[in-house]
Amino acid sequence: MSQVEVRDVSHTYASGNGRPVLHHVNLSAEPGEIIALVGESGCGKTTLGRLIAGLYEPSSGTISYEGEDIAKLRGKARMQWRRKVQMIHQDPYGSLNPGLTLGSTLAPGLIGHKLATSRTVEPLMLELLEQVGLDATPEFLQRYPHQLSGGQRQRFSIARAISLQPEFIVADEVTSMLDVSMRVAILDLLLKFTTDRQLGYVFISHDFGVVRYFAQGGRIVVMFYGYIVETGPTEEVITAPKHPYTRLLLESIPVPDPSQADRRDGEQSAEGRLIREPSDTGCAFVDRCPMAQQICRTTRPPLLDTGGGHYAACHFADSVPPLNRLLGPAA
Amino acid sequence: MSTPTIDKPGTTGTGTALIDIQNLSVAFGTGAKAVTAVHDVTLAVEPGEIYALVGESGCGKSTLAYSLLDIVPPPGEIVGGDITFQGTSTTSLTKQQMNKLRGAEMTMVFQGAMNAFNPVLTIGKQVQHILQAHPEVYKDPKEGRAYFNHLLELVQLSPDRIWRAYESQLSGGMKQRVAIAVALLLKPSLVVLDEPTTALDVLNQRLVIDILKDLHQTLGVTIIFVTHDLAVVAELATRVAVMYAGRLVETGTVQEIFTAKRRHPYVEALINAIPSVLNSGLKVKPIGGSVPNLAALPPGCKFAPRCRLAEDICREVEPPLIDVNNHRVACHVVNRDVTEVSPISEASETTADATSLRKSAAPDHEPNEKEATL
Repeated sequence: MSQVEVRDVSHTYASGNGRPVLHHVNLSAEPGEIIALVGESGCGKTTLGRLIAGLYEPSSGTISYEGEDIAKLRGKARMQWRRKVQMIHQDPYGSLNPGLTLGSTLAPGLIGHKLATSRTVEPLMLELLEQVGLDATPEFLQRYPHQLSGGQRQRFSIARAISLQPEFIVADEVTSMLDVSMRVAILDLLLKFTTDRQLGYVFISHDFGVVRYFAQGGRIVVMFYGYIVETGPTEEVITAPKHPYTRLLLESIPVPDPSQADRRDGEQSAEGRLIREPSDTGCAFVDRCPMAQQICRTTRPPLLDTGGGHYAACHFADSVPPLNRLLGPAA
Repeated sequence: MSTPTIDKPGTTGTGTALIDIQNLSVAFGTGAKAVTAVHDVTLAVEPGEIYALVGESGCGKSTLAYSLLDIVPPPGEIVGGDITFQGTSTTSLTKQQMNKLRGAEMTMVFQGAMNAFNPVLTIGKQVQHILQAHPEVYKDPKEGRAYFNHLLELVQLSPDRIWRAYESQLSGGMKQRVAIAVALLLKPSLVVLDEPTTALDVLNQRLVIDILKDLHQTLGVTIIFVTHDLAVVAELATRVAVMYAGRLVETGTVQEIFTAKRRHPYVEALINAIPSVLNSGLKVKPIGGSVPNLAALPPGCKFAPRCRLAEDICREVEPPLIDVNNHRVACHVVNRDVTEVSPISEASETTADATSLRKSAAPDHEPNEKEATL
């Protein structure tokens, strides 16, 4: 049984323009699996993550956790599920209550879920600080979020997320606001829990570099305006993309190598390709697609298996050329 | 108002620098509590360059950029050194003279372009206000509007739509591009951009990088940009200055920064810490430790506590920036093999060789000392 099962989920925000943010999305995660959701701003990746974390309910379709529809969970079962699924937000400045000390942020959850009593809660909190590489002292628990640096705040957000011994974490752009030198350390910290505790992740990011590092051995799900357009094993999606949109994302990434940047000529994206709105008929990507044919304007391509668990929603999935510079090891 | 023309945009000129920073120091607060955000920075940007200021949060890169336009937010102020822009010392200008220079000759695109516009006025109205404030640039405001439309096309936006739009009707990536067009409206010779790609997704980052390269080519404008993202540096910059704890630790061409043998260990560590799509991540190594507190800096090299090459001398003596063919590195260890050195100072005494420099480096580098004496 899958740990998380997203079935035929569509979502429209009541406050929005009426356009669905998600269209009939299906996704399942096995225990301990790392799934990276990738796409541009507004593609629905954060909405999908939040639905999985139960922050709101989908307009239609179901999301199940260990076989149970989370919308139908009540009472004790709901409390248990709440503990098992946690979320880490993008902004470590906005996601911590500025009026609470670190101790008073952590303690209520631990006590409420009966993981500690008011007498045992402090040593447990110190242990959590230790695990995320923060200063494990009672004085540190007395601090307020504004007294921490960005990296420390994100470490603390992680401590809060793991404090309830979850089985599944939705991590939304957790490194995008951090300095480069700190990113890998935070990713390594999160990865440590997959091996130590069999934690599963939905990892949301637009940065393929971070994704390639974090989701080694996991899966990438590429989203375009509410549709899943490609999904497959991480290395395969990067080295052999089967959707032109994935390829466009891959070739757009700035790379930290000036010699590679010079070689970009010839793969320059045509004007407007980056910014066109999605099409309502046929393939949503058709107006930006360099490979578009007549059939793409009339028929929406279904998400089909191209072999080895690699799915793509493209009529010409087999003709998408790989990006040569991503094939070999870095020079 | 004439626009300086550059014969060959994109190439590094050999003439006089467009902006010349000499021994610049910027401090926040006074007395014992003063924190020096920028310490003794000497840097020249030639016309036609795309110059990147790189470093981690709190390294002073944004403060340095702000000081170029003399807009360091209080209580910060320039406490030493000088900035010369097109041959004129900006520190000697009156407030009014500086106001004229700002906007017409040098402009800035701030970080988070989302908040750069007035939400209750259309973009067109705001552009009109700028044109009214600078009648010296366009005698006829219509001329200014026509040029703005042209700029909007260059940043791949539809002029009519943008003119009538409120900022809330634009996406983050569009706002960033409008902000760039506005910054170029008065035909400045220098544009300073603070983290131009940071809040954007991959596709918008690519678009902004391509557009900036294009504007640099077609308009010949000199660009200075601040970033923490070395991948953007590799894609966009011609020259790079890397800062650490308010100091320059390395300056050079983009090729030198990424590939030269003689590189600052911090720069090397920073590059190795990037999870890049070019490799599956096995080679990525985080930098241990964290950025030092500017209020309690260690003696000697500020990077020494995190440096894998650090030796005793690094913990005692602050390393000077040693220039070899315009590639400057401040590190005792990597400069050891340098035979010909020319210390950065106006007093261009005959070059000392590295051995004597190492031996004579013992006298403490006074933090307030303005002239580099080596």
